[in-house]
Amino acid sequence: MERLRRTMMFVPGNNPGMLKDAGIYGADSVMFDLEDSVSLAEKDAARMLVMQALQTVDYGDTELVVRINDLETPFGRPDIFAMVKAGVDVIRLPKTETVDDVLETEAVIAEAEAYFNIPHKTTKMMAAIESAEGVLNAPAIAKASDRLIGIAIGAEDYVTNMKTRRYPDGAELSFARNMILHGARAAGIAAFDTVYSDVDNEAGFKHEVELIHELGFDGKSVINPRQIPLVNAIYAPTENDVQNAKDVLNAIEEARIKGSGVIALNGKMVDKPVVARAQRTMMLAEASHLVDQEGNWHAE
Amino acid sequence: MNYAQQLKKLNLKETHYYKQWAALLAQEGIKGSSQVSVDVDGCFGIFEDQRLIATGAYQKNVLKYIAVDANYQDGKLFNDIISALINALSQQGIFHFFVFTKPIYRKSFEFVGFKLLAETALAVLLEAGDVSLQQFIAQVPRLENQSTRMISAIVMNANPFTLGHRYLVTQAAQKSDFVYIFVVSQDVSLFTTEERFKLVQKGLADLPNVVVVPSSEYMVSYATFPSYFLPESQDVIEYQTALDAQLFKKIATQLNIRQRFLGEEPFSKTTALYNKALQANLPPEVIVEVLPRLETAEQVISATQVRKAIQSGAIETIRTFVPATTYQFIKQNQATLQVRIQKGMQVDGN
Amino acid sequence: MEIKHTAIAGTLESSDIQIMLSKIEGPTEIELESAVEKQFGTQIRTLMRTILEQYGITNVKLKAVDKGALDCTIKARLITAIQRAIDKQNDPDWEVLG
Repeated sequence: MERLRRTMMFVPGNNPGMLKDAGIYGADSVMFDLEDSVSLAEKDAARMLVMQALQTVDYGDTELVVRINDLETPFGRPDIFAMVKAGVDVIRLPKTETVDDVLETEAVIAEAEAYFNIPHKTTKMMAAIESAEGVLNAPAIAKASDRLIGIAIGAEDYVTNMKTRRYPDGAELSFARNMILHGARAAGIAAFDTVYSDVDNEAGFKHEVELIHELGFDGKSVINPRQIPLVNAIYAPTENDVQNAKDVLNAIEEARIKGSGVIALNGKMVDKPVVARAQRTMMLAEASHLVDQEGNWHAE
Repeated sequence: MNYAQQLKKLNLKETHYYKQWAALLAQEGIKGSSQVSVDVDGCFGIFEDQRLIATGAYQKNVLKYIAVDANYQDGKLFNDIISALINALSQQGIFHFFVFTKPIYRKSFEFVGFKLLAETALAVLLEAGDVSLQQFIAQVPRLENQSTRMISAIVMNANPFTLGHRYLVTQAAQKSDFVYIFVVSQDVSLFTTEERFKLVQKGLADLPNVVVVPSSEYMVSYATFPSYFLPESQDVIEYQTALDAQLFKKIATQLNIRQRFLGEEPFSKTTALYNKALQANLPPEVIVEVLPRLETAEQVISATQVRKAIQSGAIETIRTFVPATTYQFIKQNQATLQVRIQKGMQVDGN
Repeated sequence: MEIKHTAIAGTLESSDIQIMLSKIEGPTEIELESAVEKQFGTQIRTLMRTILEQYGITNVKLKAVDKGALDCTIKARLITAIQRAIDKQNDPDWEVLG
């Protein structure tokens, strides 16, 4: 079953205090950054720090992602080797523009896995799309490798590339978000939205999360732990959503007991996407602590 | 640093940053330099909500202008800013750092690995890095039975070494069993540290009871002592010499140096004041003796005159002022020295 | 193996450790400044010596200012300092890096 990825928290890779505590805020995924948040002179230090943290600190069930430096830089290749050796869940490519970008990174990951005797394809990937070219190639990028678990939009570089800036209504990202979302859905992988950097603007942040939730994004990138509960609240299902999901799951159970191949609910056929959605709703409800172990709605 | 704070390099030539920087320093009782003549090689700031809450700078290997907003004095920002400075210096291959500061900040620096060098009522001098005062003292050559001998010392910049310097040394050598010559190592003079040291060594090679000690950063040239953290009313010279004297005393005690010789200073008022202050500060542990200058042809020899002659191209006129070794060096390197002067190296100064 | 030159890694921030390695004539010396010296001083020094041995580094002075770093942070900072001191920042020795 696919995992929840409502929040992916960005953590600067060269900060031991933040690395140590990254798991305690309840983010579904944590992304340790070796790229933009780390100065050139500290790339080696951040790589080693993240590598040691990954091997030692207990992050529980949190999905662990590392954003590496571009392979064009001297840092990209040692970044990949170090993270593969440390057993990271996902390697995130920055500034992905073409299918080749994905394939080149994948080749180095495969090389590292072979070098360290780690089973082939243990390390997953995700691609951040941050330019017009990347957006136009999004559908192909999303299908470029079966290691990919998702693609993300990185808005800061994208808006610069588009000769605009971020606006509260998000009109400047409308096309890119839809492209990335369609690319991801067509490939059957996750779609992540960009960061919202004005940490103090809670209303603006909520507005943006509501928008991307409506569009269908799996989740939002966050840069401050304070943003996590705000995202989770918006992604939390209502009591009605949960009841509908339970009805679907009960119908499946009923059909299983009857030995019937056809699942029906209120006289309608229940097909695969409906089942998947019901399962996802229950996961969200559990993650938001809205239901007990039996799936019954908690009285507030 | 936490999620709300951001470290930035501060370009003080930008008025936007300079204003915030000067305001924070003023708030914390530190005199910042004017924007046109900012005396730092690099500066950092920590911002929270676009507001500058901590800053620190460096010039060569000296940390300066360190200030933390009084509302955040839990030590965290201080450590963050010192870290940023040390990392910036180490990227330039500088691994030995000094700081001059108020006595109340001594502990804060000691908590981050700095060691006290000298302390007065007004100021403290601390160091950190891959060299230490103890290492320096350990590598200074020793005599047999050093503690029972009459050991003396002279500190000189020797920019360049003249017969005046030599006269001072020979006088001292007659009055002591053994003389240490400490050559100031700060590279801020017309002659480089290495050149100055070699010329001193060559010019004294024939004196058996004299040893020239290389590159001591601990014989701090008083001209470079920063004093920005002192209250307006304090006498800067007083603070500088007191600190310098305390540090010298510390070194002298461990090397059994009992006497320090100074050259009489008829021209420079600052040097004269400095000599006077050393006389006030070094005894009783170290006796101070001022020796008269050597005069040739009714002229007192000074390194300043030698540099002026190099500038004007009249090096023949100073032939009798310097040892043959110094003269030869100047003759061979006249062009190079003149280029340094043209590029802005001060001839006056020290 | 001797290091090529002095190197520093890490910071003085909370949960971090600043480590400086420099060449000396004699055997390796460790100078540790830590608020938790009493409880963990010996453990930290042992960890440092072990890592230096794994990398075969001899004749160094290691000066460390610890601000409550976890073992994995101490390890990361020391390895970074070693790699910087032997000019191998982006060419880590994967065999030694356990």
